Amino acid sequence: MGESSNARGRFARHVNNVREYDRITGFSKIARRALANNAFDGVLTMIGVLMGNYLGNVRSAGTVIRIGIATAISIGVSGLWGAYLAETAERERELAELERISLTDLGNTKIGRASRVAVIVVSLVDGLSPLVSSLIVLTPFFFAPLIGNILVSYALSLIVGLLALFGLGMFLGYISGRSLIGYGMRTIVAGIVAIAINALLPIEP
Amino acid sequence: MGNLRRLVLDVLKPLEPSIVELVQLLADQEGVDGVNISIYEIDRRVENAKVTIEGHDLRYDEIARVIEENGGAIHSIDEVAAGRVLIEDVITPQD
Repeated sequence: MGESSNARGRFARHVNNVREYDRITGFSKIARRALANNAFDGVLTMIGVLMGNYLGNVRSAGTVIRIGIATAISIGVSGLWGAYLAETAERERELAELERISLTDLGNTKIGRASRVAVIVVSLVDGLSPLVSSLIVLTPFFFAPLIGNILVSYALSLIVGLLALFGLGMFLGYISGRSLIGYGMRTIVAGIVAIAINALLPIEP
Repeated sequence: MGNLRRLVLDVLKPLEPSIVELVQLLADQEGVDGVNISIYEIDRRVENAKVTIEGHDLRYDEIARVIEENGGAIHSIDEVAAGRVLIEDVITPQD
């Protein structure tokens, strides 16, 4: 009883700290933008991979999964690394400016910790959102033995991709407080455009 | 050593954490009865604050730690009072 209430107290303290770090650095807004942006990238990249495989006459689910996972890992690592480097540079510059103005070392203060937490949160969101979103699009291929026909897996994956884009659009609509369907339609069009351009390109495998 | 009853500090602090948070953190300290923070100058990233703390037994080190932990720098101690009775600054003919 005492231990569980202690654990609850510690958890509540951590949550309060994170909220305070967010107030100081505003990382939740950046992370939200990164989530939408990078998940969008992940879905569209995977739609491209699927179209490439389909038009290149790849008819083995194992090969599509291998290529898909390799691509997902690469965009995940790219998001994580890029965001970590960019966010670290930006935060260090801000902290250095504040230290210069206040003539104080802020590294070990709440502001320094908030800055480090912001880098970690934004990097993780930047890395995980394209990784997860692209793997979601690939999901039907994991069930390829159950589905049977590989062409159905391709079709289902593209539908999942378009639905994921619609969902992301709705998320953006929710953030902006505007029409969920309107935003959903705008993002889904991006997927349809990517599919159409790939399908219409006159390149023979 | 006599108990510290009043502290008036000149503090330069970043805009975040805000004075709303800082005043509550200071008020939570042991021996503190009340805190007032007023801003007399504001810049793009920092602000100058006059922090007035009264209590029955103030711990200067702890108060300074809370201010510094929140990114503040104590520029000067402008007024202090200690002892059983709180003595106000007396205006003399020379003033």
